[in-house]
Amino acid sequence: MARIAVVAPVLFNRQGERLFLEARGHEFMFEQDVQAAVEDIVNDPPDLLIMQKGLPNDLDKTVIQALKDSLQLALLPIILCISRQDLTSGMDWGEYRVDDIIFTDASLREINARIGLALERTKRVADNNPLTKLPGNSSILRYIQEVLDARLSVAISYVDIDNFKPYNDLYGFSRGDEVIRMVARILVNAVREMAGAKGFVGHIGGDDFVFSTPIEIVRDVCEKIIDDFSALIPLFLDEKDIDAGCFVGIDRRGEKVTFPLTSLSIAVVRCMPGRYSHYGEVAETAAQLKHKVKGMPGSVYLIDRRGQNNGDE
Amino acid sequence: MDKQDQGQKRQDIRHRLRYIKSLPTLPPIASMLNKMVEDEEMTASRLGSVIEKDQVLTSKLLKMVNSSFFGFPQRIGAVSNAIVLLGFNVIKTLIVTSSIFDVMQSSDVGLWEHSLGCATAAGIFAKRHGLKNPEEVSTAGLIHDLGKVVIRAEFTKEYEEIQNMVKERGISMREAELECLGVAHPEIGGWLIKQWNLPDRLILPVIYHHNPEDATDFRDIAAIVHFSDILIRAVGFGSGGDKWVPPLDHKAWERIKMGKGEMKEVLNELDEKIIELKDFTLRMQQTKGGAGE
Repeated sequence: MARIAVVAPVLFNRQGERLFLEARGHEFMFEQDVQAAVEDIVNDPPDLLIMQKGLPNDLDKTVIQALKDSLQLALLPIILCISRQDLTSGMDWGEYRVDDIIFTDASLREINARIGLALERTKRVADNNPLTKLPGNSSILRYIQEVLDARLSVAISYVDIDNFKPYNDLYGFSRGDEVIRMVARILVNAVREMAGAKGFVGHIGGDDFVFSTPIEIVRDVCEKIIDDFSALIPLFLDEKDIDAGCFVGIDRRGEKVTFPLTSLSIAVVRCMPGRYSHYGEVAETAAQLKHKVKGMPGSVYLIDRRGQNNGDE
Repeated sequence: MDKQDQGQKRQDIRHRLRYIKSLPTLPPIASMLNKMVEDEEMTASRLGSVIEKDQVLTSKLLKMVNSSFFGFPQRIGAVSNAIVLLGFNVIKTLIVTSSIFDVMQSSDVGLWEHSLGCATAAGIFAKRHGLKNPEEVSTAGLIHDLGKVVIRAEFTKEYEEIQNMVKERGISMREAELECLGVAHPEIGGWLIKQWNLPDRLILPVIYHHNPEDATDFRDIAAIVHFSDILIRAVGFGSGGDKWVPPLDHKAWERIKMGKGEMKEVLNELDEKIIELKDFTLRMQQTKGGAGE
């Protein structure tokens, strides 16, 4: 059973058609007003979107672009509803980044088949983290290996949340999830805004993330991430902990222990062409840096100095 | 209207609020933002500085970030924080799809200026008072009359009736709303943003901006919004829809009371900011048109 948003005035004009599809167990949301539809889609994303080509003011293009550009919504499958003439006159698929097409005069059985296929396909792609919808481990590995093989010059940054475990223990996992989601969004938005298409963000799992940007801007990106995190984290902490400046917990022996408040640590590995040939080497350098950066109080980032020929390690 | 009728009417209104899809934004702001999103160099925070001048866009932005999809219900009350979490793309989508008024009436501009002024005053008081999140208090000031926008957009017939009552009988907007709808704009605005999962720090001050001492919590914020609302009307910036300055709640005043010297400083600061605001709203009205046409 899937929730399907339909912004295609030409489809399902007859009552019976709708019933036929609903009988397949799907829930349909027919949106008449495109603007309202978009708000609904962003606020509460469906499992599938069927959209008509050629809406006024190029709204179809704008909406598809916005959805596909948004890391969290990029996985939402979109079926574009086009006329047979559209295909004859040629379509620019770079402009319409949709997952499938369907003709305006398609039979119900065909529509049904396309819907089923689209839903199955998304299940297969999902390496993404269910909580943040960000690419997961195998996508991260693939991405880094591709960067190394292409001999690109990029900064690969490993992020984790300090003292996340005591936070989770004290506040409960659902609030822990909120913090993870917050960090994911901060990373995605900072990287998107500053690196555009040259950026990448992945979620290794738990409170560990990876992002990649051009080396020249990594310092600015790290600073923005830490600024944003520092502005937002108080909203996720209880006032008494903010006032105390630490968490107070009870350890296994029943003794009172205090932990510093949640902060961010970022370890940045600079990958210049030829320096690393395998993903594992990047991860190793990162692990060493991480050890150092974890030892520093508060939210900090550390960029590896190797290969700068300035004598320091 | 008897009690039973009134209860029924309130329930009907609450029910209708559930289906509100989109509230109108003022065309000058919408067209300016539409131009801004075309600009390759534009940043989310620059868009944000314009969004936070419109009560409807601000509430929509907060609605999005506090929705269950984004996963922070009732946490985010300040525009700058919402922007960090939503990012440029979502904000762009919000702008592109915002519905705009096709006709702008002078009452809309008046209410908009009044809301902006109230937000500014509330921000000044919150800072002076040492509240932790002055930006959120300012947001509460900005959206305190959202209920009036809802009435104008969704209850067109009643809105006309209310306006006539205000004009002919010289009563306040709130009295007319109560008589006509059985419920007034503070509660309507409060209901709507509650349904949108906005934080209580915003909901309670909106609902109780005429009677801050009745709020169960956040009375200091409610008192600041209450007093800012009155002050900005007294100063004569914008219009709240009727000619009456709402009565001051003296207990609320005790809560935020300031000495004469300090009050004078506040008024000076407010004066300066109002000149800037006036400049902004005039510029907005001159660039009227664009996206709407």
